[in-house]
Amino acid sequence: MAEKFHTELEKLKADTLEMAHLGRFMLRTAVDALIRQDAELAASVVARKEEIHRMEVRLEEHCYHLIALNQPMARDMRFIACTLKLITASLRIGRYGKVIANIVKEILDKPHIANLMSIPHMADLVIDMVDDAVAAYESDNLRLIDDFSSRDDTVDALRHSIFREGITYMMEDPKNISRCTHYIMVARYLERCADHACKIAENVQYMETGERVEIH
Amino acid sequence: MSDAAIITTNNVNLWYNEKQALQSVSIKIPKNRVTSLIGPSGCGKSTLLRCFNRLNDLIDHVKITGEITLDDENIHAPSTDVVTLRKKVGMVFQKPNPFPKTIYENVAYGPRVHGVRDKAELDKIVEQSLRHAAIWDEVKERLNDSALGLSGGQQQRLCIARTLAVEPEVILMDEPCSSLDPIATAKIENLIERLKEDYTVIIVTHNMQQAARVSDYTGFMYLGKLIECGKTGQIFEHPKEELTENYITGRFG
Repeated sequence: MAEKFHTELEKLKADTLEMAHLGRFMLRTAVDALIRQDAELAASVVARKEEIHRMEVRLEEHCYHLIALNQPMARDMRFIACTLKLITASLRIGRYGKVIANIVKEILDKPHIANLMSIPHMADLVIDMVDDAVAAYESDNLRLIDDFSSRDDTVDALRHSIFREGITYMMEDPKNISRCTHYIMVARYLERCADHACKIAENVQYMETGERVEIH
Repeated sequence: MSDAAIITTNNVNLWYNEKQALQSVSIKIPKNRVTSLIGPSGCGKSTLLRCFNRLNDLIDHVKITGEITLDDENIHAPSTDVVTLRKKVGMVFQKPNPFPKTIYENVAYGPRVHGVRDKAELDKIVEQSLRHAAIWDEVKERLNDSALGLSGGQQQRLCIARTLAVEPEVILMDEPCSSLDPIATAKIENLIERLKEDYTVIIVTHNMQQAARVSDYTGFMYLGKLIECGKTGQIFEHPKEELTENYITGRFG
């Protein structure tokens, strides 16, 4: 019976990784669509929102089912706990991708101000964090996430700098207000995605060691 | 373990003939707590349990080394009276084993052996013990019926009442629920929870969920060794030893 359970856990892991990759893909594609002002690409992100929702429901049910029928303990319990958190985080990351994609069509009419400020750079850092957190879950390699605290600090600093820069452009010309407000919101969404990557990292740490850590 | 210990073993080794069943077992059993011993069949958990009231003395060709203390007194010291030891350390077995006597006599038997003769006193002990074992309401109208007419779960609670009647300090339970249905099991588990207010309970179980549910501390044994012992939450959430991890997640055993 234990063998069957462990085979099911492997399947749960593979399915969860698929969902995590979709969430990450939606965020990456939305940012690309924003950078290129590509409405079609943005629409392709929005189109996947139902799919990721369905994955969330199905995977959560699978987790509850495994808990109810197998009463997992120790590492198995920690793995399922971490998986439930990863499922939630992946959905949120995917949804932020969708929200950013929805912004693209609002600001198609004119070229970007200051080449989107630091948003493309910030997005690269955030998506690297998401990748490393998910890879740590996949490979049990904690070294991928041991510098998350300082990486999160950098992301926070970038969000703050984009906010300051955005305000400056708004004060220069009120016509920039709408566009810069969108930029500031995007920076805020990216920062939240980095927070979700940190949450995933905290849970991978717990899954691996049983120790609770907090990444600020 | 932070709680005060009632039983302590120090480097206990035990052999049945040539076969070593316990290897350097050192464990502290905290007072007024429930401690579970888990591990695969043949790991020595029942043997260790039977050390605590010297039940292994009854088996031929058993050799024990190391020290076991109850209330800081060596239970193998020449001055230790085994009958008194077994009064202090009561035992409940896997299969309920009531005497083929009335319900009343089953409980009154122990106190009588230990010298209680007064009828009123015996009545009081019987009622108290049956109440403590959460079976009084079910049997109070038929104390003079045969104990063998009770259901398995009731018989097991009667056996617990019989143990309580001689006012032990420690109650050993060797798979006390393995022959019971889930409802009878739940009653025994609720009872164990209440018993720890007055007694120290040590329970051997194959059922890891049961160990997780009822005990404050859990010891994992494997091939005669105590691999790990700690608070139940820690053992089942993040055990320190890989062997424990592998056993409780069903990777062997």
